[in-house]
Amino acid sequence: MGYQINEEKVFNSGHAACPGCSEALAMRYIVNTLGPDTIGVVPPSCIAIISGPQPLSSMRMPVYQTTLEASAASATGIARALKAKGNDHTKVVAIAGDGGTYDIGFQSLSSAAERNEDFIYICLDNEGYMNTGAQKSSSTPYLAYTASTPAGKPTPKKNLAEIMAAHRIPYMATATTGYPEDLARKVAKAKGIRGLRFIVVLTPCLDGWGLADNAGPKVSRLAVETGVFPLYEVENGEHYTLNYGSKGTPINQYLSLQKRYRHLNQAQIEEIQIEVDNNWQRLHRKFST
Amino acid sequence: MNEKNNRILVNGNHAVAYGVKLAQPQVVPIYPITPQTPIVEKISEFQAAGEMVVELVTAESEHSAMAACITASLTGARVFTATASQGLMLMHEMLHYASGARAPIVMFNVNRTIGSPWGFWPDQTDSLAQRDTGWIHYYCEHGQESLDTVLQAYRVAEKVMLPAMVMHEAFYVSHALDIVEVPAQKDVDQYLPAFNPLHRLDPEIGESWGNTVNQEMFYRHRRDLGLAMESVIDVAQEADTEWQELTGRGYGIIEKYRCDDAELVIVTMGSMVGTARDAVDNLRMEGVPVGLLKVKLFRPFPTEAVRQALMSVPKVMVLDRNFAPGTGGFLHQELKAALYGVDDGPGVHGYLTGVGGTNISPNNIAALVREAMSTTPIASSVWKG
Amino acid sequence: MKETFKEVPSIWTTGWTDILNTGTWRSAIPIYQKRLAPCHSACPVDGEIPTWIMLARKQLYHEAWSALVVNNPFPAVTGRICHHPCEGACNRGEYDGAVAINALEQYIGDLALSEGWTLPHPTIELDQRIAVIGGGPAGLSCAYQLRQLGYKVTIFESRPELGGVLRYGIPRYRLSKEIWDGELKRLLALGIEIKVNHLVKANDLSSLERDYSAVFLALGAQNSKTLPQFSVDDLKVFKGYEFLERVNRGEVPQLGQEVVVIGGGSVALDVAGTARRLGSQVKVLALEAMDSLPAQPDELTESLEEGVEIYAGAMVQKVNLGPERISLDCIKVTLDEAFPAGVLRPIPRSGTEFNVSATSVILAVGQETELTGWDSVINIGQSLVKVGADLATSRPGVFAGGDVTPAERFVSTAIGQGKKASSSIDRYLTEQTSDSQSLSKTENSEDKVAYQEINMFYFPEKARERKGLVPVEQRLQNFDEVRISFNFEQTQSQSERCFSCGNCVECDNCFYFCPDMAVVKDSSLAEHYSILDQYCKGCGSCVQECPRGAVVLKEETGR
Repeated sequence: MGYQINEEKVFNSGHAACPGCSEALAMRYIVNTLGPDTIGVVPPSCIAIISGPQPLSSMRMPVYQTTLEASAASATGIARALKAKGNDHTKVVAIAGDGGTYDIGFQSLSSAAERNEDFIYICLDNEGYMNTGAQKSSSTPYLAYTASTPAGKPTPKKNLAEIMAAHRIPYMATATTGYPEDLARKVAKAKGIRGLRFIVVLTPCLDGWGLADNAGPKVSRLAVETGVFPLYEVENGEHYTLNYGSKGTPINQYLSLQKRYRHLNQAQIEEIQIEVDNNWQRLHRKFST
Repeated sequence: MNEKNNRILVNGNHAVAYGVKLAQPQVVPIYPITPQTPIVEKISEFQAAGEMVVELVTAESEHSAMAACITASLTGARVFTATASQGLMLMHEMLHYASGARAPIVMFNVNRTIGSPWGFWPDQTDSLAQRDTGWIHYYCEHGQESLDTVLQAYRVAEKVMLPAMVMHEAFYVSHALDIVEVPAQKDVDQYLPAFNPLHRLDPEIGESWGNTVNQEMFYRHRRDLGLAMESVIDVAQEADTEWQELTGRGYGIIEKYRCDDAELVIVTMGSMVGTARDAVDNLRMEGVPVGLLKVKLFRPFPTEAVRQALMSVPKVMVLDRNFAPGTGGFLHQELKAALYGVDDGPGVHGYLTGVGGTNISPNNIAALVREAMSTTPIASSVWKG
Repeated sequence: MKETFKEVPSIWTTGWTDILNTGTWRSAIPIYQKRLAPCHSACPVDGEIPTWIMLARKQLYHEAWSALVVNNPFPAVTGRICHHPCEGACNRGEYDGAVAINALEQYIGDLALSEGWTLPHPTIELDQRIAVIGGGPAGLSCAYQLRQLGYKVTIFESRPELGGVLRYGIPRYRLSKEIWDGELKRLLALGIEIKVNHLVKANDLSSLERDYSAVFLALGAQNSKTLPQFSVDDLKVFKGYEFLERVNRGEVPQLGQEVVVIGGGSVALDVAGTARRLGSQVKVLALEAMDSLPAQPDELTESLEEGVEIYAGAMVQKVNLGPERISLDCIKVTLDEAFPAGVLRPIPRSGTEFNVSATSVILAVGQETELTGWDSVINIGQSLVKVGADLATSRPGVFAGGDVTPAERFVSTAIGQGKKASSSIDRYLTEQTSDSQSLSKTENSEDKVAYQEINMFYFPEKARERKGLVPVEQRLQNFDEVRISFNFEQTQSQSERCFSCGNCVECDNCFYFCPDMAVVKDSSLAEHYSILDQYCKGCGSCVQECPRGAVVLKEETGR
């Protein structure tokens, strides 16, 4: 581990995440790295459930639960209020799912990014509306089963990382729970920057993807090693840094662990392999400095 | 111009902006929409000129503007925003959210027709359609009242911890020039203390807001919201009384105009009040015993005050520049409900007048009064141009 | 009416979820367990290999050596000549090559000698005396372990010097005299009585039993087997073990230019290598095929490098004894696979006859015990001493181990048996019982960490290194050691390759991958971590993310 995780105990035990939940693991490193001088914004999602049942919170920091499409706008309100009150130390973080980010929340996120609002937006991306029982979002990958795409999603996953980088925000990063030190380092790095910082964290949903309770980190790493979800950072929309990329691991090693792909035939697996390879090559060109 | 007050010639929207400036909100999320835009343009000018120190958020939608208002308010900042028509419609979800959050936001809504089809005309259906969102609703007759009411609204909202929206109508008020008296900042500061809520999003307090509740908590939360809303009647009355003591201008939560011995009282809101005032004056000169009841505070509905005002009046004629398909004029419905059960209560005529911004003159109103006095009211609202 | 109870606020929170008990969701709980590594399981001396490699990795070499000598007093010896089944069992073998355990052991063993580290002295002194018959690896190991327990030990050795095969059988180029002398000297410093040139016979046993509380028989098997085709009276025919012993005593047997060695095991190749160093051309005839010779693969490689010709899958059919030379009529054979392993039943392949001529022939086809008379005092079966699992013979108080018993004939096996016998003797003397329950972890192989339990993500591929070899030309010049020990850098980098199967190294993965913060670091605990019963939901992420299988999930019932 190149980065030494330095946790403050802000995220509490006793939360209601499923056993082995990747989102809870991600929240641990996000919240504990940001520390208690932070105000959180959470839209409807499993994150909201994990936040705790009234009157209890799983986070020892103020958290505001907003509506599904409004995370970035709600975070804006807090950040601006803090600024107006002369508070220049408290951090603001929005932690939203992929439905609340790629889909319904994208308008307010894009606008906040354009205004370069001073908060951190973290998307815990489990590639679908998992909290409502696994429906398709625009983050759902090509051919993945969801309750609303029973034959497999016919279109590819939206490339939100690149869309956010194209906003030329100060910091954009991808991360995933199989690499907690990388995730914590990125959160710490984001914490030290001002302006809109965006991190999309791939958080395999055990139930929605059809995984064993202990398989979250493993699948997360396979997503990286197959090139499905490379871990990288983009500063100011221009400076690309690769952290963990494809190791050329065949895509089937990733797909075969997940029930959402068990309907695939060999030709479809090969099709996905080609798509992943193309995406990886396209991205890889950006790392030449 | 005297020492204390500053009299200026401005349109209704700019009058609102002056009121907002005096309230010194710290965060103002904005999104442009006709005919509201001059309000936020003026605030932007104030900020650019250094006359207001405020965080302006140029949101990408009214929905986001309201979302930002809620959190800024919960973080302990005084906030303001303005909108109209479609913008208010887009905010609808967040209006409920704001009152549930007990965020004392003040918003100005310039009443405009809602599409489709497109129109830009004065019509109160936009805000009246939000009557159940848990916001305090004020309707104003002219720019001066709008300015004054914005400040009263902050006073009331922050006391009861509910959001408030203040309305005046498109163009008739929003773009009409008038002489407006701008109160002195020190008077306003005395009237409106700094906003410093007990509960807020603050790491030093550590409380979170809005975690999932059970049925019993939700029930109690709604009940508490209702109790707060009920308390607005007295709080608003007191706020108006104090304002009157401070500035000499008071409006009441309702206003009775020449109602003594009236055999018919016109009841209406907003710009129609001014027209009706002229009609009443004209009819009184002709010896027709007619009066006017202006409803300024619409939510909470001042039921008791309205009953007191109208219980001994034989006939009431409600003029609605708004329309709810299936039930008719909003105020008409409210009046019928308010007067229900009053022994020998007045007969209530409901007239849909000026819906979509059609021009209603004092003469039109005088003709309607004569008609109403000679006919028996029916239950539903009647289209009258 | 004024409400007298405190209502839960409906919007602002007042507390935190850590008062909740999510542990009730669980049906299984992780348990930290030091588990058996395959190397440890395979180790003939029951060595805790992951432990001493982990210490070496931390550069705690003295501690590493101390962990080694708990089970084996001669790491510098076994680091050279152990057949290292640990490496064959090593989980890393399935990945990118087994950990170079043997070479690491040699480095540590050599370091101990050069640093002059001494073996720990017994912490108590007991009055009981134990007789150890035979000063080879089994006897010395048993004597060492008994001494550690505080017993007084006397070793009876028929030869002039202790060591058995280590002194007389292993060629010096595999185990130098200096190394052996160093290891032995350090052992004897513990205070062990030595009686050399003292042959104990069966009828001495009764008198020994009077003077000693227990006896350990480690007589070895030094008698070379012969083949009926060969006349061992001919000066051109040598017995393998005797040949090696003579060379180790400093003699130079006259072999002539062309030597044929019969046999395919380690001794055969040791004989071949020794003959090469004495200047002869060497051919080795073995019944087994080339890929199934009983000798270790690296021994075979070295022999081939040294110019030894191997005739694998060949059998001598007829010996033609001449005055100067021996002519061997040979034929290629295959082994009948119908017979169990260890039983060689060659099937000649007609038409493959060939002839080999030699100036001398050395028979290295195995060794036998010399147990004349012993059958009158203890049970002997198939020319080996019969022992139970605890190495007790049929005679109470008499134990036996090493080559004289039915055991694999490896030095390390003998050392392991000596150790095992010592604990049986101790138990015999302290409890007066010798029931043979599970004696060591080695026999509890059910819980051995499997390759599938290793999380390869945490182990990037890293090539295995091997001991270096002295160039062939130099090797044949003398009897200097041919294998070059690892240096410090190699030792460090190769010790990092160890998975530490089943042995927690405090990597903290279990801690970091818990979504419920239910794993607590606690350095005061032997297992380094504890599980918070209140919160653990039993997902098993800590088990899955443990790189080395040191956490297991245990089903919970009746909750």
